[in-house]
Amino acid sequence: MADLLTIENLSKRFPPNIVALEQATVSVRKGEVHCLLGANGAGKSTFLKLIAGALSPSGGEICIEGHKVNFRAPVEAAAAGISMIYQELDLVPQLTVAENLFLGHPPSRFGFLDKRARRTRAVEALARVGANFSPDDRVGSLSIANQQLTAIARSLTRDAKVIIMDEPSAALNETELEAVFRVIRELTAQDVAILYVSHRLGELREIGDRVTVLRGGRTIETFDVDGTPDSALVEAILGRDRAFVERRERPPVTGEVVLSVERLKGPQGLDIRGFELRRGEIAGLTGLNGSGRTSFLRSLFGAQQCEAEMILHGRSYAPGTPRDAIRAGLGLVPESRKTEGLILDAPIYRNATLPTMQGRFWARHGDLKARTEPVLKQLSTKYGAPEQKVIQLSGGNQQKVVLAKWIIKGADLLLLDEPSRGLDIGAKADLYRLVSELAANGAAVIVASSELEELYAACDTIWVFHEGRNIARFDPATTDQDTILKHQILGEHHHD
Amino acid sequence: MTETVTGAAPARRPGRRLIDLAIEYNFILIFLVVVAIAATLSPNFLTATNIANLFQQAAVVGVVAIGMTFVILTGNIDLSVGSVVALCGMLAAVLLADGMPIMPAIAITILAGAIAGATIGLISALAEVPSFIVSLAGLVSFRGITYLMTDGVPVSGLPQGFGAISSTMVPVLPGLQISSMGLIFIVLCIAAGALLRLTVFGESVYATGGNAEASRLSGLPTTRILVMVFTVSGIMSALAGILLTSRLRIGQPTAAQGLELDAIAAVVLGGTSLFGGRGGVLGTFFAVMLLQVLRNIFNLLGLGSFYQMTVTGLIIVAAILLNRFIDIRRGRA
Repeated sequence: MADLLTIENLSKRFPPNIVALEQATVSVRKGEVHCLLGANGAGKSTFLKLIAGALSPSGGEICIEGHKVNFRAPVEAAAAGISMIYQELDLVPQLTVAENLFLGHPPSRFGFLDKRARRTRAVEALARVGANFSPDDRVGSLSIANQQLTAIARSLTRDAKVIIMDEPSAALNETELEAVFRVIRELTAQDVAILYVSHRLGELREIGDRVTVLRGGRTIETFDVDGTPDSALVEAILGRDRAFVERRERPPVTGEVVLSVERLKGPQGLDIRGFELRRGEIAGLTGLNGSGRTSFLRSLFGAQQCEAEMILHGRSYAPGTPRDAIRAGLGLVPESRKTEGLILDAPIYRNATLPTMQGRFWARHGDLKARTEPVLKQLSTKYGAPEQKVIQLSGGNQQKVVLAKWIIKGADLLLLDEPSRGLDIGAKADLYRLVSELAANGAAVIVASSELEELYAACDTIWVFHEGRNIARFDPATTDQDTILKHQILGEHHHD
Repeated sequence: MTETVTGAAPARRPGRRLIDLAIEYNFILIFLVVVAIAATLSPNFLTATNIANLFQQAAVVGVVAIGMTFVILTGNIDLSVGSVVALCGMLAAVLLADGMPIMPAIAITILAGAIAGATIGLISALAEVPSFIVSLAGLVSFRGITYLMTDGVPVSGLPQGFGAISSTMVPVLPGLQISSMGLIFIVLCIAAGALLRLTVFGESVYATGGNAEASRLSGLPTTRILVMVFTVSGIMSALAGILLTSRLRIGQPTAAQGLELDAIAAVVLGGTSLFGGRGGVLGTFFAVMLLQVLRNIFNLLGLGSFYQMTVTGLIIVAAILLNRFIDIRRGRA
């Protein structure tokens, strides 16, 4: 089979010195499903954006059917036959399917919109993807799977030769995914090539012809899916020469059980069973994107609806709102510090005392500042004055203000969601040192992070989340990281 | 930590601090400039009678704008205020003309305003519908109820003592008396400023407007706070309605049409962000007075209301562009 898309030594650097992609080389054949596999931060997104013209490369070349191309904008890539289907579909929900299919390139006659031609061609494109909905339906009223099909049909209206699909399975259930796979098979039979990104090895086995593994911004190797064992793929994803992470010495956890989750069911298939947390324990939650880490923490905090049987400090616990959770001694450091954690325009001390001041009449600013300052010092926060706006602080110091909120409030069960995101190495180490001090003083802590290394170094227990379930529990003192990573990717069950 | 702290607040040069203050409170400077221009243009401007007039005329829209400040600080808007002013003004007139004593009539009117505001807040907060549309519905319906009360006929024959609420002259400085309604406006400004700056409720208003999700996740009763700001707005509209009826000595169902826009213009001109979380009553006070001074100086110069409207619009745009420019310079845009 002929090579349709060849990519050679493609590199992308972001100033000043971040290398996102280094010498990536891939060739995609006509009519094949070529999968991309890699851990978080392996460079997959950058790679896709370069091919789709959303970013321009720092080096290397992209050729389509032997001709070198140089995209300056996504429109040019689309014109050359490369179509990208983003994970969060870029459709306009208020418009109809037909309108969406020809968004940006509507058929016209004498400068007027040719609605008839648009509808006819929309029907054709929808037939090719086997859609059972009408071109006149509003996209917003379609299921996610049918929206996915609409996005694929849109690629067809642009005569796409290569369709890039970025984790299409993330929002689909099995039947829906099967429908998408059927369409993929039909398209490949018509010589369209699919570049398919997914974390899930199972899917790749079902749909993929070849797979290229990325690690640390490099393409490691391209395998034929048939005849390559899982172990070889996992090894390629993880690499052999990874730096050994030093585990911090932690005293054994002897405290009583603080929180016990018998069963917790939430949106998007969240289904947690038998989760336990002890006083003084730091539990890490690891898992791929969409594995339910954030959803679990938000459910515990009453920030989203769930059905649960939980016991907290010996009493049944069912938070309806964050207020209930806070009253029960919980504190959440949310995933997005800027949109959920802080009021950026407000002074430090007002952010830090937001949960504490409720229930009084007078704000008593002097008192609030006096309560804030010792805690900020305890966290060695660098700031000018308590009246300073939070927005003026660095990321690490902002995160300390969020943490200070719960220390001032006296929370004894801390939920930290990606607490180290956007922090530099020094700030990260600082943060985990503080968490460990809090645990030593009797707090129970749950940390969710996509960086297994961090959890490995700081936690007493590591839970692996996979597709909404807590499938495995490890003691990092007796388990090596690779074992945990394998469970993360393959979704195998295990309990220490 | 290897990171640096930028923009440390203390230990700044005093000159720099003065400039910061001037930028922060630019509406006061603009006000003073307009007053200076007005004083040069007309010798009658800075007289005791005229100053008393200014406060008297500013009071109704000013009181409404105080309530609007609370609502806008949470990132919401209340378009129903003009109709609530008319509704409450009429209600007071009807009750008094029926022979009810003044104090109970006022109490009932204020309660009615509070209920009107709370209803809009409740619907908007619980159904998660933008307050713009809920209060727009309020604007129409409350005006309808106002007409229904007397079939559109104005109500007269109010007791003598009721007029005293708005027009008793109170000496505030040697040689300067202002009417009681002007004084009520000033007192309400101070009370609202204290409520916003010194109480947990005020803090919660700023917090909810600054970041509603972060506030919710910090355990703030965000729904209750929204209902409360609309209730404050309703109460302020009721007070404005009472003052208006008291001054006119008549209940007028067509009163206060378009008042909501004057109030919103004043709040925004006073530096309160339409997105919420920033601003305050001090700015609203100066903006209300600024708009009144503009109206006043055109009257003193004998220029018609057509000029007045044109220039007022231009000044609002200029002031808002200035604030936008300051925001961009500070990197907040």
